[in-house]
Amino acid sequence: MIAVGVGDSVHATPTTRGAQDVTTPVPPPPLLSMRGISKNFGAVEALVGVDLDVHAHEVVALVGDNGAGKSTLAKMVAGAITPDTGLIEIDGEPTVIPTPGAAHALGVATVFQDLALCDNLDVTSNLFLGREARVGPLRDDGYMEATARRVLDSLTSRIPSVRSQLSTLSAGQRQTVAIARTLIGDPRLVVLDEPTAALSVAATAEVLTHIERLREMGLGVILISHNMMDVLAVADRIVVLRHGRNNGVFDAATTSHEQILAAITGATSRRQSRMHALR
Amino acid sequence: MSTDIKLDPALPPADNERSAMGRRLSGLGGNAREYGIFGALVLIVLLFQILTDGKLLKPNNVVALFQQNAYVMILAIGMVMVIVAGHIDLSVGSVVAFVGGVVAVSMRDWGLNWVVAVLIGLALGALVGAWQGYWVAYVGVPAFIVTLAGMLIFRGLALVVVSETIAGLPNSFIKIATGSVPNWLGFIGKMDVVTLVIGGLAIAAFAIAQFRARASMRKHALQVEPTGAFVAKIVGVGVAIGFLSVILSMSAGGMPIVLIICGVLIVAYSFLMGRTVFGRHIYAIGGNRPAAALSGVNTKRVDFLIFVNIGLLSGAAAIVTTARTGAALAAAGNGFELDAIAACFIGGAAVTGGIGRISGAIVGALIMGVLNMGLSILSVDPSWQQAIKGLVLLFAVAFDLINKRRAGTS
Ligand SMILES: Nc1ncnc2c1ncn2[C@@H]1O[C@H](COP(=O)(O)OP(=O)(O)OP(=O)(O)O)[C@@H](O)[C@H]1O
Ligand SMILES: [Mg+2]
Repeated sequence: MIAVGVGDSVHATPTTRGAQDVTTPVPPPPLLSMRGISKNFGAVEALVGVDLDVHAHEVVALVGDNGAGKSTLAKMVAGAITPDTGLIEIDGEPTVIPTPGAAHALGVATVFQDLALCDNLDVTSNLFLGREARVGPLRDDGYMEATARRVLDSLTSRIPSVRSQLSTLSAGQRQTVAIARTLIGDPRLVVLDEPTAALSVAATAEVLTHIERLREMGLGVILISHNMMDVLAVADRIVVLRHGRNNGVFDAATTSHEQILAAITGATSRRQSRMHALR
Repeated sequence: MSTDIKLDPALPPADNERSAMGRRLSGLGGNAREYGIFGALVLIVLLFQILTDGKLLKPNNVVALFQQNAYVMILAIGMVMVIVAGHIDLSVGSVVAFVGGVVAVSMRDWGLNWVVAVLIGLALGALVGAWQGYWVAYVGVPAFIVTLAGMLIFRGLALVVVSETIAGLPNSFIKIATGSVPNWLGFIGKMDVVTLVIGGLAIAAFAIAQFRARASMRKHALQVEPTGAFVAKIVGVGVAIGFLSVILSMSAGGMPIVLIICGVLIVAYSFLMGRTVFGRHIYAIGGNRPAAALSGVNTKRVDFLIFVNIGLLSGAAAIVTTARTGAALAAAGNGFELDAIAACFIGGAAVTGGIGRISGAIVGALIMGVLNMGLSILSVDPSWQQAIKGLVLLFAVAFDLINKRRAGTS
């Protein structure tokens, strides 16, 4: 299948987009479509004209060096950051995602890189934070705890109890809690920002299986990871960011480790980007 | 990869055992701290009961204890919510003076009915809270600065409103702080029956609430605390409330009205903090504000409402204080913020936010109150009283920290 070469994508985005048209010949509108997304933090250009598509039934890996802008893009989908310019479409509808609450209402569930958990609350409270079940004016604590137990059991997690305070959990256990959050509610798009960074081999394998299950269920998944093995194992497409810009889209089935690494580090495109800069 | 997963089936049994034990341990740990400060209160009461030759628990002294400390309890309720959210409010004393002044003026100069005056006081308190909440929540000025400014602003406004002491307030208003529930049901021996009935109802309400909570846990097949501990808790609280009711029923007036006000506020706010989504969000914000925001908690709105709330409660404290003095003074409420803050920290609230309970703050307020009263009965010099209270605050927090550290390392 198609792998857009590193060099080509440096010229302009249309090449990238053309390539995606080939991968999806019949175009139902993508679940999520981001076009020309830019974001500056003061003088830092975190994202410049970035495009990203995620379809239902698809795992898209977002890779790139430290500081490439991956988390910034993820936070936009999660409603935590708004783009300076650019268009976000969900199901082909132009959409603004002004708050995390709005993202949740749109069916986006996110595992943030720093996990975004509250140490002083227990596991159940963290799972349901911001989306608590209610009976009348009160919280439905019983329902929430029972659901939390079911969800964590489904992950064969090593969490001592859903009543454990989060500060007592290990890094991997905390990450499991963050991932379990995406199972609460009925998300259509799951964003995972380095979800396996602190996990054991077995737990990582489990998360990858979980991601595949999400795809089977028809969800769209954005997976951010530095582990190329994991990425190649579960992703359908691999989107490379470099210095806040698109630097190629690859088909996971036909792409090698080295090709992706080259796109991430810019090894083969260095000469061309210099030429690009001279023009 | 697949071989790793196949290892899993061997794990669950061991896991389950560990989880059951963990659950039991964490349950104990949570309650132990709570029982700890309650135990400290009981010890201090017993100590002063002995030191004062039994004067401390004389019915009229107990009534005076509640009447003198009602304002601390009311303010501590609002303050613990502010502290749990990771803020502080230094302005409550000044707000009490300002609102108290306006309430007094509205009755004496504008000739308003005392009920209307009370409503004006509560509304004005909430308005002051909204003003401060706006700066904290929507402009992002640290609460320490906003309320430090508020301390000056509202003390200044209090001086403007109360240029000279406003006395001669209506009797029905003064009754709020000094009156008792009428002895409608007569007496059994020396005991006022109304007081006993109220005490009995309180015990029944507590037991029913506990049973219902337990039943709802059972319904979802969730772990509940051991039956022994459950029964011990109900009996313990029941005996404490019963003992207090009997003492109060033998006082000159019976059940003090302020105690009813405080009781209703304690129950209502414990509910708000413990059982509602709003309460959960206050803890979440105090634990990790960015995480709460990323999770979809409207942190600004919660911050704003917390300050509106402590403004409202400052209004209530102003009414109680003004009624107890029978007059509005420009210097009223001096140092109230420190009393309320101390009560919260003695009661186990964390300076860093995220931890603290209404019940703890109330027990903290009572510990300070009992110290005040006991030392006064012993005619200890007020300067020494202050020094002793300072030491108690320091030791209470240090003790809590050392305990936590030990629990963390074991
Ligand atoms: N809140 C912020 N304020 C200022 N600069 C920011 C902010 N967030 C991100 N940046 C900058 O934007 C750029 C992209 O950051 P981002 O977190 O998206 O990188 P990343 O690709 O996720 O990196 P990593 O692999 O290390 O997680 C970086 O240069 C970073 O310094
Ligand atoms: Mg990142």
